[in-house]
Amino acid sequence: MSYPGIVIIGGGPAGMSAAVAIATHGLTCTIVDEGFDLGGQIYRKPTNPACAPAPHPRGEGLRAEVARLGEHINVRTGDSAWGIFDGLRVAITSPDECTELLQPQAVILAPGAHELVPPFPGWTLPGVMTPGAAQILTKTMGVAPGKRVLVAGTGPFLLAVACQLIDAGVHVVSVLEASPRSAWLTLPLHGFRTPAILDEGLAYLTKLARAHVPVRYGRVVVAATGETELNAVEHAPVGAEWFPERNHIETEQVDTLLIGYGFVPRVQLAQMAGCDLELRPDIGGWIPVRDRNLATTVSGIFAAGDGAGVAGSLAAALEGQLAGMAATQFLGAIDEATFTAARHTIEHELARLRPLRSALDKISALQPGLMSLVRDDTIVCRCEEVTWREAREAVCAGSTTYRSLKMTSRAGMGACQGRFCWPFLSRLVAAEVKCPLADIGPPSARPPLGPITLGALASGLQDK
Amino acid sequence: MTDTTDVVVIGGGAIGSSVAFALARHGASVTLLDVSTPGRATSASAGGLWSLGESLGLGCGVILHTAQKGAGDGPAPLPLTFMDFLWESNLRFPSLAAELRTLCGIDIEAEAATGLLYLVYDEEQERHANRIIEWAGSDHGCVEKWTPQHIHNRDPLITYDLRGAIHFPGDNQVNPMLLTEALKRGACAKGARFIAEARVRAFQCSNGRVVAVESDKGTIACGAVVNAAGAWSAQIARLANIEIPIHPVRGQIVCTEALQPGTLRSNLSTRDCYILQKAHGEVIIGSTTEYCDFNIGVRYQDMCNLAAGAIRAVPALRNVMVKRTWAGLRPGTPDELPILGPAVELENFFHATGGFRTGIVAAPLTGEVVAASVLGQTPKFSIEPFLARRFQSLVA
Repeated sequence: MSYPGIVIIGGGPAGMSAAVAIATHGLTCTIVDEGFDLGGQIYRKPTNPACAPAPHPRGEGLRAEVARLGEHINVRTGDSAWGIFDGLRVAITSPDECTELLQPQAVILAPGAHELVPPFPGWTLPGVMTPGAAQILTKTMGVAPGKRVLVAGTGPFLLAVACQLIDAGVHVVSVLEASPRSAWLTLPLHGFRTPAILDEGLAYLTKLARAHVPVRYGRVVVAATGETELNAVEHAPVGAEWFPERNHIETEQVDTLLIGYGFVPRVQLAQMAGCDLELRPDIGGWIPVRDRNLATTVSGIFAAGDGAGVAGSLAAALEGQLAGMAATQFLGAIDEATFTAARHTIEHELARLRPLRSALDKISALQPGLMSLVRDDTIVCRCEEVTWREAREAVCAGSTTYRSLKMTSRAGMGACQGRFCWPFLSRLVAAEVKCPLADIGPPSARPPLGPITLGALASGLQDK
Repeated sequence: MTDTTDVVVIGGGAIGSSVAFALARHGASVTLLDVSTPGRATSASAGGLWSLGESLGLGCGVILHTAQKGAGDGPAPLPLTFMDFLWESNLRFPSLAAELRTLCGIDIEAEAATGLLYLVYDEEQERHANRIIEWAGSDHGCVEKWTPQHIHNRDPLITYDLRGAIHFPGDNQVNPMLLTEALKRGACAKGARFIAEARVRAFQCSNGRVVAVESDKGTIACGAVVNAAGAWSAQIARLANIEIPIHPVRGQIVCTEALQPGTLRSNLSTRDCYILQKAHGEVIIGSTTEYCDFNIGVRYQDMCNLAAGAIRAVPALRNVMVKRTWAGLRPGTPDELPILGPAVELENFFHATGGFRTGIVAAPLTGEVVAASVLGQTPKFSIEPFLARRFQSLVA
């Protein structure tokens, strides 16, 4: 095994920026990312450029920087990091099923976030997917997710994906945003220090308008219907706290529904490493506790980007840079004064992004009305096909924690190990029990982070 | 505010729930206190009901023996009285399963006729196997030697690369979590009260008796206390100034994705691991045995070892996905026997702990005998060998 240097988990904007910062200061690092190429979800590179939209210039820029410093950066794309053992030892498995244990001196966690979808009737029908999934289809493979597509949920990501679909020639019927238009109209007040981001948002809206795709504010999807696959979506205007007005339901014939209500930080590796977590619903839920240098509570482990609190790709790149420098300083390769000066600059940049981000977080904060969409027979855990009736009965019988609910109802016991269902199911449980969300806790995280075969696991024995 | 109850049972794992159930069935007023601490043995148990196999050192015993390169041909068996205890307890599962299904609608997945196969790979193990036949064969008459062909006919996925196996037809399995949940709800159906997240902080004592239990969820006046806190029971006992030699013994296990139920027909015990397919389809591969205080992490090298051991026994498992790995803490005692019945120091403080690696199979009878002991009745099975006083010289 070659010397890994500082191991960076995740090759998105945070991970790439961290690598560039480390390599610039002469240290070696290894980026581990499951994707075919660096970029993460936001800067994902097409596998076939001929049939996909051009990659984002900021992503191309970071990839070029990493390539330029290639002498100091091992890029391990295709490999998945699935466990952290004894502090800093990172288990990774390659696509050909070889497992090894990297033993770095410092680790930067930059795993990003995944999408949050609250359960509602029909959400498990084929044809219902997340905007991110549709983005992977169009961006990397040039495959349209469907013929008539409805995009719904909350947040600017919906607009970005809708525009990418239009570029890919897909018929987007409309975009439904849960928050009222009045809330969105206040954004320029908060974003005057970051006009480029406002311009980006405006460009999305302009593009949608030109393509005659209406953006309808203050509406939520209440049900998806179809026999074996999606053929219609029911949506309704919302009142206070996003409670749908069910006497005003509209039905739209579509074959695809893209639905996403924001993002959940991927904190499982931080949990496995023993990092303390804190609950911050405003930035996605449970996040690792970090100090000013983005150091977690475990010595030598740093966390950056959306995986440590959702703040978008620009903030992720800045955090990555800071975490990279902090890890470099942790290993004694930068002097205190240089580091402090650099941190000051980065913090200033991060502060400039913050007002707009906070305003967006407020607009898209999940409201209790979403919980009213769940019916008794709605599946709340997709992997194990547990319905809300089954889960609620278990809760009423005393299973009010993740562990206990899992044991008695099997919710969270499947392939995703609660990563997908628990962020919303925990809210339903908290509401049922009438206790604070923090009391319900995050799902416990255990290796492996994603499924690996027993054969791949057994291959790790050669690593003695 | 002070509640009153006849008996406070501390610990809502398999043992505590079984004691609470048995007490409630006798009409006692019971309060079962639980804390959802990670790492409890019940949730890291595979649920093997191997009354014979475990007594003879199979399951985790033989794995530990291999790992430590132990002397002799395999681990030493546990005393015959304990084998009889486990045997008696195991016999209760069919009727207990039926009773719990009626009482609370939970199927504890007590499987009949899965049986346990001890796979014999080499000459050393063959000598161990022959000794097992000698020990147990005459006593219970239900241990058979199987040829590779016989194994293959029954479980075609098991490797051909072995010398044979010993089959224990009466050693089946149960779902330990559902067993515990059903016992708990069964107890509640019979009038017991369950309080979650009620960490015990102190005991109020007077004239050599516990008179109340102070917990995070209030103080409960009581006539008797049962300590069923598993690996944490020494800490609970210490709150009452009682010393018992219980130590956490970690076991790490690997769980796969769900396969078609019935893919593996037998429970398997090998020198490297044990392998059980649960009713839902997941395969549980366990387990290590180590002292590590209260650390419930898993070790990379141990996970790899268990995976390799499972593939050796069942090569087709190579392509099966691992879903989760975790660890639990068994309550271990110096002689590997449980601690049951009255404490020496306080007359109304009772132990139901030290189940080590046989807590699940022992749960039904443990519940009965401890309940009888608390209620001043003569237990149907003598608990003399399991009394805490056998350690008096040790802890003094």
